[in-house]
Amino acid sequence: MIGLAVTLVLFPLIGWSIARRSSGEAFLFGVGITGVLLFLAGLVHLPLVAALAFIVALAIIRIATAARTSENRQPATHNRFATAVMVLPLIALTFVAAITPLSDFDGRAFWVLKAKGIAHERAIDGPFFRGETLDPRNHYPILIPLDGAAILGIAHDLDDRQIRWLYLGLLVALALLVRERIGRLVSPRAGAWCAAILVWIPQFIVEGEGGALSAYSDIALAAFAAGAFFELVAAESPFRFGLWLVFLVFTKSEGLPFAMVFLIIGAFVFRKRIAIPAIAMTIAAIALFVWRARIPAGDEEDILRMLPTVFGKLHHLGDALAAFPRHMLLFSRWGIFWIAVIIAAVLALRADRRAARLAISVIAAMLAVYAGVYVATEWVVSDLIAVTADRLLMHVIAPALFLLALGTRTTEPPPSVS
Amino acid sequence: MSGRSLIPRVAGVLLFLSLAATTLPRLIALVNNARALLPLRYEARRERQMGPWYASVKTLRRELPANEPVALVAAPRDVESAVFANYYLYPIRTRLFRGRNDYRNSANDPKLPKTIVAVSADRIERTTYDALRDRDLRAGHRVVTTPQLREPATAFILPMAASLDGPAPETFVIEATIANPNPAPAELRATFWPKGLVRTMTIAPRTTVAYYDFVHQLFGVTDRGWMRVESSQPLRAAFYFANRGHGDATLLPNVTGAATDIAASPIYRDTKLFVLNPNDTPGTIVVAGNPVPIGPHAFLSWPVTHVPTVSGNVYAYVATRELNGRTDFLWPR
Repeated sequence: MIGLAVTLVLFPLIGWSIARRSSGEAFLFGVGITGVLLFLAGLVHLPLVAALAFIVALAIIRIATAARTSENRQPATHNRFATAVMVLPLIALTFVAAITPLSDFDGRAFWVLKAKGIAHERAIDGPFFRGETLDPRNHYPILIPLDGAAILGIAHDLDDRQIRWLYLGLLVALALLVRERIGRLVSPRAGAWCAAILVWIPQFIVEGEGGALSAYSDIALAAFAAGAFFELVAAESPFRFGLWLVFLVFTKSEGLPFAMVFLIIGAFVFRKRIAIPAIAMTIAAIALFVWRARIPAGDEEDILRMLPTVFGKLHHLGDALAAFPRHMLLFSRWGIFWIAVIIAAVLALRADRRAARLAISVIAAMLAVYAGVYVATEWVVSDLIAVTADRLLMHVIAPALFLLALGTRTTEPPPSVS
Repeated sequence: MSGRSLIPRVAGVLLFLSLAATTLPRLIALVNNARALLPLRYEARRERQMGPWYASVKTLRRELPANEPVALVAAPRDVESAVFANYYLYPIRTRLFRGRNDYRNSANDPKLPKTIVAVSADRIERTTYDALRDRDLRAGHRVVTTPQLREPATAFILPMAASLDGPAPETFVIEATIANPNPAPAELRATFWPKGLVRTMTIAPRTTVAYYDFVHQLFGVTDRGWMRVESSQPLRAAFYFANRGHGDATLLPNVTGAATDIAASPIYRDTKLFVLNPNDTPGTIVVAGNPVPIGPHAFLSWPVTHVPTVSGNVYAYVATRELNGRTDFLWPR
């Protein structure tokens, strides 16, 4: 129960100090900021416990001294049915997460193991990361393990039951973010229903590898990508956009190319203001590479080293290009979701050409990057696609849901809150 | 309701149903599973999920020293289980070895963990290198499938008795086949020198017994030396010096007395002269013109570049490795 309490208090508290538009966004900002600041503290060998205490104190001071004007005016909604549809599976998942022990592969093999290692050694480059014990993917970014370590550290318990709530919290926060952002950008009804649809997608809810009951970092990456995407569409705050990109860089190896894609597309949206996220992302990438240079690599693939070999592996191209269409049609993982998204994308181009093109660009660019990785990989391509394609599709869920919302906009009233 | 607004609603319902069709039954199954686990303590829930494998992890976690690294030795097909064992054993430090050969190839690594944990998909258990080796040898196949039994004898010497590993995959064993053709049981006494270890056993009438690793199976050691075999009944036996890693084997002579006249022959690499003293008294031998004292039951060896002359009341022979790794013996006349 300590893990639950920490998850419910720590991350919203820290996130709320800089983002007050919705509780989902606050939670995600809390998760991201905690992870990034602990990483930077660890990089310069500041004590992680002191750093965490400092972050919490700073958040409390900022909340206490901030102006009372609240940013969290919710769009006027009358979508109780959509809300009920959204809440139902989340209640079931909460019950399951409270009782069922963690049993997925990557969560135990890599992510939670790292959280345990950090919590035990209170360092990000201690013996755990220096090869004194088995850590198969030593170079994986560690934002989420740092958050997990914060929970384990506060709970004084290395048992994974303490951090199951973090992963469920990420899904709930993503759903709330989708609900609030699409609610503002398209319509409250669309926001409510998109969030409801999200929490019924099998890949997110019940899938053992990558779903909310596992301890993979894909929902976190999808959530941070969602934050960045909505910021891109709103074109309001390059600072917030930059933060989302930084979170992406520190969450998963795919996060860096994802952030670069966002940065390139963002340059057309933010124009000169793109300098802020560009600088933030560059600092994050340098910090990540400095950390990696200090510790031995695990058995993960070095994509940068593999890129020059891509021309010798063009025979993988067919499999790589077919991977996503084939998995989009996997009924047991996605139902007819992606078919609906493709139809909606056509309609969305009529409804709001600029926003639809942004969403399509993000999805197409990211899937192209992932397809490129499939071409370059040293693994057996079909095996890699089988275990990763559905999880990579999760990363572009926000622009996909946004297209769904835009596709129905022609029949919707304009949003009540802009 | 206009036709235009009806279409997205119908499409939305269809989309939702397509998702719920998979999610709802699986969610119900997850909830039912959670309800079944609810009365159990958390660790018991893990045991229910993962079965006896997790129970063995729990037991081992209590037994292993917290500050000492352990070697997780798993067959390639069980590496996944080792990764999970690593997860549940943390903060006990672990190092993964893909098979016994991977471990023994790290023998010169000063950081090689001394505590070994054997991991399989069924269980994990603390073990020793010798036990792992024995398990592998027992599960494998003997090199010699049709042994050539020697003439019946009641006492003889095996000039080489070994159970040893070289760099992977070299694994040296004595494959033994002993037949008692007599109508009476044979009491067999084997003495492993120079350690002087003694084992006795009874071979039933008209029975044949076989060993895949005679020295280790009888004496529980991995070592080398020579062996005296004595029996109450004349036995027909075949002892092969076998390299399981290369799949080659050499039939050993049943020595009955001293002999030192080794014929000059071509030698290859890793060539050694072996001398054993079958007597209960010390003596002096002459090797290539140099006197060398030798203790009772001693087993000496020297690297040599050619077949030397040896004299004395001892048994001497040369072993050399062909380029293909096969061990050749040059026995005395």
